[in-house]
Amino acid sequence: MAASAADVRSILSLPNAPGTGPPTQAKKPQAAERAKKPEGIPRELYALIGPSIPTMAAQFAKPRLKQKPNIGGGGNVKWEWRPFRNGARTDDLRLSHWVKSSVDPEADYPFAKYNVQTTPYVYSQDEYNRFLEDSNWTKEETDYLFNLVREYDGRFLVVHDRYEYPGGTERPLEDLKDRYFSICRKLVRNRPWPGDEASKAALISTLTFDKDKETLRKQYVASLVNRTPEQIAEEDALYLELERLKENERRFKKDRDELLRTLCGIESGLPDIAVDDDGLAGTTLDTKKKRKAVAGSVEPQTPVTPSASSVIALPQPQPKKSSAKSAAYDALHCIVRTEVEQTAGSSTKAAHVPVHLRTFKMAQPKAAVAPRVSQVVGEVGISATRIVMPTRDNLAKFASVIDAAQQLVEIKKAVDKHEQDIRTTRARLAILRGENPEGEGEALETPMDVEEGEAEGDVEGRGQSVMSTRSARSRKQGRRSMSVSSVDTANGPNKRQKQR
Amino acid sequence: MASNDRVRVRGVTIHRPIIYGNTAWVLTPNEREALPSPDHTHRWTVAVRSAASAPDSNEVGGADDLSYFIKRVTFKLHDTYPNPTRNVDKPPFEVSETGWGEFDITIRITFVQESGEKAITFYHHLKLHPWTAPGSGEPEIPTLENALKAGPVHSWQYDEIVFNDPFQSFLNILTAHPPTPLPKVKRRPVPYHIANLASLEASKGGTPEFTQEMEKEEAERLDKALKQIVEDTHKWRNKLIEKENESNKYKKELEAVLQLKSK
Repeated sequence: MAASAADVRSILSLPNAPGTGPPTQAKKPQAAERAKKPEGIPRELYALIGPSIPTMAAQFAKPRLKQKPNIGGGGNVKWEWRPFRNGARTDDLRLSHWVKSSVDPEADYPFAKYNVQTTPYVYSQDEYNRFLEDSNWTKEETDYLFNLVREYDGRFLVVHDRYEYPGGTERPLEDLKDRYFSICRKLVRNRPWPGDEASKAALISTLTFDKDKETLRKQYVASLVNRTPEQIAEEDALYLELERLKENERRFKKDRDELLRTLCGIESGLPDIAVDDDGLAGTTLDTKKKRKAVAGSVEPQTPVTPSASSVIALPQPQPKKSSAKSAAYDALHCIVRTEVEQTAGSSTKAAHVPVHLRTFKMAQPKAAVAPRVSQVVGEVGISATRIVMPTRDNLAKFASVIDAAQQLVEIKKAVDKHEQDIRTTRARLAILRGENPEGEGEALETPMDVEEGEAEGDVEGRGQSVMSTRSARSRKQGRRSMSVSSVDTANGPNKRQKQR
Repeated sequence: MASNDRVRVRGVTIHRPIIYGNTAWVLTPNEREALPSPDHTHRWTVAVRSAASAPDSNEVGGADDLSYFIKRVTFKLHDTYPNPTRNVDKPPFEVSETGWGEFDITIRITFVQESGEKAITFYHHLKLHPWTAPGSGEPEIPTLENALKAGPVHSWQYDEIVFNDPFQSFLNILTAHPPTPLPKVKRRPVPYHIANLASLEASKGGTPEFTQEMEKEEAERLDKALKQIVEDTHKWRNKLIEKENESNKYKKELEAVLQLKSK
């Protein structure tokens, strides 16, 4: 954006420089002279007719052009140095900038919206096992890739540059992109989607990546760049040759048509020679042949040229129109039409779906998770078994709700399982760790033993001293026994208080 | 009759909106005495009707005569009723009785011969006692005096009878009788449904009516629920991934410690 001198002046609140002002004063005498003559009448004509016929003036008046936009507001704009808050920042950094004083001080920073965050895609182990397995990739390497993509904000050139997976093979950029986008697509496809199908398809289409095409494209570009001068020269020569051939062909066609016209006497029947460059292309040959078959029956005597045949308008097969009228008719009669796949002959009769109530086809959660699913949908105010108005659309929506709830239940289950795992692993770890620094070299202390120790400590006063000696020996162990005791819920809180 | 009338029209699904359910009234003491069985406390009507209500009727639904595609509706009442299987061969497809208890009524709809379809069977739970909000503390079965004051009890379920690839002749019959569309806006109370507990208040004060608004309202409710669930799923998935990482970390630590120990 180039600021004009006037802008700068207005920002700095300087008066207009005399030299840069519009040069109207200088031309004033001339303009006054000319003002006598009505605008638009040529000077010579005005000299002839004089000012006596003013009505003519209107006809010579130039059409008025749109007024020039008054950029800079003619120096009346006040600029202010104002602090502003950038909504895209997470910190509260206050910067200031020049703004016109007419701008609302409360308005959002207009450039904040360009700070677009990419949605980070993450997947759980279960999702990975179900759809994301790939023989060329381990889960660890995939995780590594996703971390890099997140870190570098989806800039794949950087990701590729930094990509150094220990023990992994060298991977081309296309491999990384392909892996990343294919996973994103699969995740979007398999997760419940809150919006409609069109928005889902739109999102998926933004995540497409055609690896083969991309590789091929790069190969082409590389070969284009790496041509030798000889090759370039040869290419140019070939191109010229091709142009020459085309020109010949065109001329030949023209001559032939001319000849046809004179021979057959079709003077006006032939349209202008429309045979141009595309007449050469191989694809049109087919259509020419087809048309020949049609046109041949009409005028069998004449050798048919493509241009001649194009006169005959082929009746286009009318596509099935779903006009507004038929849609209204269908709505009135509650008719839904679906495309019938064309089966070869009527011998293969598709199984007939018998009459049913709409609710017979209601989505049902899997029996194993049904109670939890109905709890989940109940929390959001939906019944898992009944629906007030089971129309087609509502049942479809209901099905997606049930499906989403099912996934949520599965995830919650997995979280529970992992929490359990973490607890047991931590407990075991604590025991092992607790033993090692002591160097007692005994066999593993079981949780049972620990509890016994705690139970001893339950005795008033003595517990205190036991704990303190323990913590003096090793802080770690003290923490360890606390974590173990928190697992043990039977005599938990009371005791823990004492330990503190 | 042209021979192609017995051809199925492929790719066409046509449905007819119906409602089924019951309305129940509490009997006054006088009425009860007049009955052969004075222990009966309610009078009720169970019916299968078209979904739209007639403009000036005091009934739920029933604007259209459904006999153009329904040949017979069979209501199977509780075995304690005399001849409990009631066949109704002409409209209105309903059975009125008196009784004292709620039970499941099996409803079987037989279609006209042209349809070439088998009968369908479903059930309706006869509702005699007024709807109460769960957890409101109101007794499920109020005293008869209170119930009398509350007015008739309505329990209706909307549904659609779906015909796939109908015979041409049957399709002609159906299209000759387009169903009355549901009113676009609410004119009367909303029929209460246990899948929409919030509709209890709106269901009070007269004969309810099914409307297109209800369908829209439910669609919005479902959309909102889906959004909520997807949000939750997202949260929980992130949590799961976190836990997985944590779990893996601990497992690795454990392995390392175990190896150290075995040395």
